[in-house]
Amino acid sequence: MTTLRIRGGRIFDPTNDENGVAREICVRDGRIVAPFPAGMPVDHEVDAHGAIVLAGGIDMHSHIGGGKVNLARMLLPEDHRGAAPSDNPLELASCGRCAPGTLRAGYRYAEMGYTAAFEPAMLPSNARQAHFEMGDTPIIDHGAYALLGNDDLFLQMLARGEPFERVRDYVGWTINASKALGVKVVNPGGISAFKFNQRALDVDQQHVHYGVTPRSVLHTLARALLELGVPHPLHIHSSNLGVAGNIASTLATIDALGGLPGHLTHVQFHSYGTEGPKKFSSAARTLAQAVNANRNVSVDVGQIIFGQTVTASGDTMRQVANSDLASPRKWVAADIECDAGCGVVPFRYREASYVNALQWAIGLELFLLVDDPWRIVLTTDHPNGGPFTSYPHLIRLLMDRSFRAEQLAKLHPDVAAQADLAQIKRELSLYEIAILTRAAPARLLGLKDRGHLGVGAAADIAIYRDQPDREAMFATPLCVFKDGELVARDGRITAVPAGGVHFVEPDYDRSIERELEDYSDKYLALAFRHAMIGKDELCNCCNRGGRLLPTQCRATETSSAG
Amino acid sequence: MTPWTCPFCALLCDRVALDAAASGTPRLHGSDCPRAKRALAHFDTGAAAAQPSVDGKTATLEAAIDAAAHVLAAARQPLFGGLATDIAGARAVYKLANACHAILDHANSGGLLPGLRTLQDRGLLQTTLAEIRNRADLMVVIGTQPSKDYPEFYRRCGLGDAVSTLREVVFAGTPVDPSADAIKSVTSRSVPWSGDAYATLATLNALCKRRPVEASGALRELAQRMLAAKYVVLVWEPGRLPGAHAALLVESINELGKTINRTTRAGGLALAGNEGGLAANQTLTWLSGLPLRTGVHASGLMHEPHRYSADRLLADRAVDALLWIASFDPERAIAANAPASLPTIALAHPAHAARASARVFIPVATPGIGASGHLFRLDGVVIVPVAKVRDDGLPGVADVVERINARLQRVREESV
Repeated sequence: MTTLRIRGGRIFDPTNDENGVAREICVRDGRIVAPFPAGMPVDHEVDAHGAIVLAGGIDMHSHIGGGKVNLARMLLPEDHRGAAPSDNPLELASCGRCAPGTLRAGYRYAEMGYTAAFEPAMLPSNARQAHFEMGDTPIIDHGAYALLGNDDLFLQMLARGEPFERVRDYVGWTINASKALGVKVVNPGGISAFKFNQRALDVDQQHVHYGVTPRSVLHTLARALLELGVPHPLHIHSSNLGVAGNIASTLATIDALGGLPGHLTHVQFHSYGTEGPKKFSSAARTLAQAVNANRNVSVDVGQIIFGQTVTASGDTMRQVANSDLASPRKWVAADIECDAGCGVVPFRYREASYVNALQWAIGLELFLLVDDPWRIVLTTDHPNGGPFTSYPHLIRLLMDRSFRAEQLAKLHPDVAAQADLAQIKRELSLYEIAILTRAAPARLLGLKDRGHLGVGAAADIAIYRDQPDREAMFATPLCVFKDGELVARDGRITAVPAGGVHFVEPDYDRSIERELEDYSDKYLALAFRHAMIGKDELCNCCNRGGRLLPTQCRATETSSAG
Repeated sequence: MTPWTCPFCALLCDRVALDAAASGTPRLHGSDCPRAKRALAHFDTGAAAAQPSVDGKTATLEAAIDAAAHVLAAARQPLFGGLATDIAGARAVYKLANACHAILDHANSGGLLPGLRTLQDRGLLQTTLAEIRNRADLMVVIGTQPSKDYPEFYRRCGLGDAVSTLREVVFAGTPVDPSADAIKSVTSRSVPWSGDAYATLATLNALCKRRPVEASGALRELAQRMLAAKYVVLVWEPGRLPGAHAALLVESINELGKTINRTTRAGGLALAGNEGGLAANQTLTWLSGLPLRTGVHASGLMHEPHRYSADRLLADRAVDALLWIASFDPERAIAANAPASLPTIALAHPAHAARASARVFIPVATPGIGASGHLFRLDGVVIVPVAKVRDDGLPGVADVVERINARLQRVREESV
């Protein structure tokens, strides 16, 4: 039994309505417990005077593991050159800035006070690799969303008009088989359509081969997740990513949900208008209004950060369309196993570029114009908008208006002069940052014992010195605890425990497996007995003995939305 | 008889069965694959009697591990070669490489490196077995006859089966592969190199880009056919491409695919990665950020795709210890050109014992026979579990490597 007391700090714990409250945090065996009696001796005590205490950060959308991430690493040896070795004997060698090795990703997340990150695009056919890579991402907990909605089977079921319940069972089975925490749809139907040489697919257009629309894909998946009781609503990468004027598609996507819960991801890439001389404009205000008005919708931003990065996405249709913009000029595209695809395109966001400068402003406008902080999450869509290591910088941009103005002034002059952003006075508070980076993602994922500091929560805790320079403050916490263990102090890793894996186990009618086995035998290249990742396999092979963290599904309900 | 996943080439066929009775060599069912049968012949039940050895004398596993740790403790620049193991083995190897600053290369990286160099320079166009089966209507095989190294290749692509619309295969630069020709519903033909492979591919690229170029009728017809197909799959085997610059050919093949993709659809498939080659490359990449032929030096990670070829390092006598892992194939020599004086640790199939001159020899189980594990299929996307089918009493590579690492730490502590 080990005990820990953190005293003297100010607590920002939005889940429990604590906004700068001065109180002790007490921990026993990795869990937060009621305050120990005064004077009770503890194993470890932290003096947090002058510091703030938050739950560990949670990145709900970060490409940390799986085939496309590893392709990004292989594609960019230059991203990995010249890395100085760590002088910390606890760290194994690992390098890379925008596409770091898994080891490095785990160390750097933990060092920054983040204790969980979620891979948003796990192809079921590539699920083992995603879990192996996440299992090799030390310290932090992890999990992934399974990609559906571009697989031939799902589209065939929709095209044949199979009963919704069968489709729902298939969704439930896929989550179980791939040990996912949720489901993501990427360019609904579009990745598949590209395999049939269709180059664009808007929400109400028909898939050239199956005849189904993205609208029906979205609604079916959102309803299936609701009825399966999966806490995280459908994670949606909308149609027409990056296309000028795509705000119409994004609004149509919200409309397609018909009031069902949905999480629109990296909305910065989906909030573009066609106004102005360059026919490319910010539609942040329009999207923010839609989010404010539709309480079934949550978003994460996918803020861009200037500099070199690499974009890795399942959206082959859009990635191939953008491949001529690759910088450096090399790129990867793959069609994968009747499942989905992947496209990897390196990219350099430039301050002098009108488009990139506007993208930067749009992201920040979204952060500042969405009213409800519980429905907007801080992400850069690592590494697509920029590496996760830029979060402290992003937090400062959101908290410090004069810093924001300084940065804006450096950009393309038209954007600097005209962006809506210049007029927005809002500065996010520490309490709001705690929501955007911890409390909201935990709630949106259904992780009841994460993202807060109440009794019973896992003792994932980050303590930051309260400094006026919020970037410096959030870059190097005083202490970071993972399940009660000190894992980083002053930006140096102090322990390297294995992270746990979050997943859900929805209930579904197992008789679907016969149909799936027939389909697999007939069309697929992997024997059906290998389609399901077993729990022992997940724990002992993929996750190197890290803990399994099953998340409870909600009581199953039948929606009236169908 | 149990359902089985064959580990003996990167196709990882998993719709076959194995009769691994207690005596004799295991018998394959559901396939006549000569490659699998030949490999299985090396797995009689004598494996259980295999013993580790140190300096040619039988030793306990404990003593062999201790000797291995001493070899590594004394080394200033060790090489970890072979690396024919599964993902768990590659993970353990990377940790040990950190402990003794080793350089890492795989026995089959000659077949992987052209693809890796192309990926690093220009990127990649990729497709997978199920996509080929369900999407492709034209296969163009460049410079190889796949069935030589991958006997079940056509079956795995669904060539000529009821689901697939793939009925046409063109072999560029080789005669028609007899195995493809034998499939009744499929038309196969050959288009010889026009000049050499480099010139042929350059011409095809120009034709597909609709640039004016002098070309034979056969190449013009092939380019038109590729542009007219719904989904072309380009297949090549980097290890069998002609000439000394396979990476340039792979680059040209990828360019061809990307060009076709501007108007219709195409995908590519490289045939490579046997004996855990892909498992090693992928695992090292995700852990370190860098692929095969990387050194884990005190000064940092260094990726040297030419200099860190195991063959070259051994020929140049640039390393002072060798750990060689060969858990699949007993027919290939262990580090063929290693100097006899080089202190060598071999973790290998028991059949190597008689021939290996290693200072330390430890027989290990083969993933998919005596051990369970995970391997990457040749399309680089799907990790396939391979299961232990019988207990041959041999330890797995990961287990042995972890024990060597633990012993190495103690040897170092004792010497301080």
